[in-house]
Amino acid sequence: MCGIAGRILNAPGEVGRDLVALMAAQEHRGADSTGFAVYGVPMETGYVLRGMGFDKAQMDQGLAKFEAVLTDHGASYLSDPKIISDASKHYCFRMEISDPKDLTAWVADADMLTGDIEIQSCGRSLEIIKDVGSAEQVSEKHKVHDMVGTHGLGHARLATESSVLPNASHPFWARPFSDVAIVHNGQITDYFTWRDRLERQGYRFLTENDSELIAVWVSDQMKQGLTLEQALKRSISAIDGVFTYMIATPGGIGFAKDRFAMKPIVALEDNGEVAAATEEQAMRRVFRNEIDVVNYDGPSLTGIWGVGNRSLAA
Amino acid sequence: MSETVIEVGDRHIREINEEIQEACKTGKPIRVVDTLSRHNLGVGLPDGADITFEGSVGYYCGGLNTGSSLKIERNSGWALGEGMAKGHITVGGRAGMSCGAAMIGGTIHVKGDTGPRCGVAMKGGNIVVEGKIGYQSGFMAHAGKIIALGGAGDSCADALWEGEVWVAGEVDSLGVDVNVIEPTAEEVAEVDAILEPLGLVDPSRNWRKMVSGQRLWYFEARDASAWLMI
Repeated sequence: MCGIAGRILNAPGEVGRDLVALMAAQEHRGADSTGFAVYGVPMETGYVLRGMGFDKAQMDQGLAKFEAVLTDHGASYLSDPKIISDASKHYCFRMEISDPKDLTAWVADADMLTGDIEIQSCGRSLEIIKDVGSAEQVSEKHKVHDMVGTHGLGHARLATESSVLPNASHPFWARPFSDVAIVHNGQITDYFTWRDRLERQGYRFLTENDSELIAVWVSDQMKQGLTLEQALKRSISAIDGVFTYMIATPGGIGFAKDRFAMKPIVALEDNGEVAAATEEQAMRRVFRNEIDVVNYDGPSLTGIWGVGNRSLAA
Repeated sequence: MSETVIEVGDRHIREINEEIQEACKTGKPIRVVDTLSRHNLGVGLPDGADITFEGSVGYYCGGLNTGSSLKIERNSGWALGEGMAKGHITVGGRAGMSCGAAMIGGTIHVKGDTGPRCGVAMKGGNIVVEGKIGYQSGFMAHAGKIIALGGAGDSCADALWEGEVWVAGEVDSLGVDVNVIEPTAEEVAEVDAILEPLGLVDPSRNWRKMVSGQRLWYFEARDASAWLMI
């Protein structure tokens, strides 16, 4: 059991605050770890990176290796990396970098460092923040409630199939595609079959978490030229298990629900703004008045909500 | 007689339920306000209590009811009245998934539609739905009646034991091992007796009564492929 949430605003606003509220209300669905994917105002060039290093004692060496890979690919920091850490062994970072010559090639090389350092999101606007602890603890540490953006996802994890580790929490970035993230509630039963198949094609898995499979699977479908809608629909027959997952792109948020319809999702659309969550009571943290949510509780459902205005100027 | 008003808001659910239980002892009607779709409201209410929830409630409202009369003015979440033994629950709007799950007695009356698996594994009592019942309603119901006046979704009455699903209106598709039978006048009279106190009797209804085909009761692994629907 996990809890997921999505939020879309009409214009850049306090999306971080809303996502924290949606996730704090669903803490009972999974208090191991919490994560957020926030789409801020997009950069014209360059990427914002979020990631994690696994041993604070090795931080300087880790970051030096990382910078060397960046230089090899013709990119550099646009500003000094920001380090976020507390008493735990791992540290987190936020970086802004100029465009590498070939993004996919750079991601492949940077992923060789995953023993030390792991990039957890890369995009013109996407930032994935995840850590162990409750929504409030993660928000306090990473200042998620202050993040401004147009849309995003949230996830509260109850680990059922793999270890509780800061990098095994959601959302997962659909590497190497910039600005794509997923959150998932459920279990994938043919995880190892799919993982083997995708690894033979050259994809890398950084955790043992079955939800990471969805991110990689969707990446692969997109590489084969499927649209988001097509990929969502195909996942229902291609992937075995119980799941409701949401996937975010710069253009919006989509969801897919398995054939057994055991993992709930409710949504509310209101003048171009959207909120979606596992439980209606979470939505009421954002909408205090009585609302009529749409219960997507049938089997084999998919849907996409679009984002309207992403620029600050309008 | 005046009523006791209990406010929900963001308070801890245990504190709210303790107040509701205390208020039940006074015998006065109870009105619960600012419900915010919260879960587990009014679980395990005693015989004779009279309680109204203003607004929508979340999961498990009225669960383990032992004889109280509950009214929910708007919508309810999952598993309304789960495991209830006795009493009456009315929902003004929609009831979410697994409404009346494993209930053993009493009546649930939903004025709108229900989500999937309405009456899943119910062991007694009646569920009356004025709208449409969702996907796979009646799944593995052991006993009792689900009565839908506005049709049924896919996989209706799937894998029943001795429960019955009565539908007036369209049925999108049937579940596995269902017999659809023409009810006798006596059987219709029994259903009308359930609908009568709710003011829902209509002699023009064209009923379909669904019961188990009883073949799944003697499941053999070698026949599994015959039952796989998905």
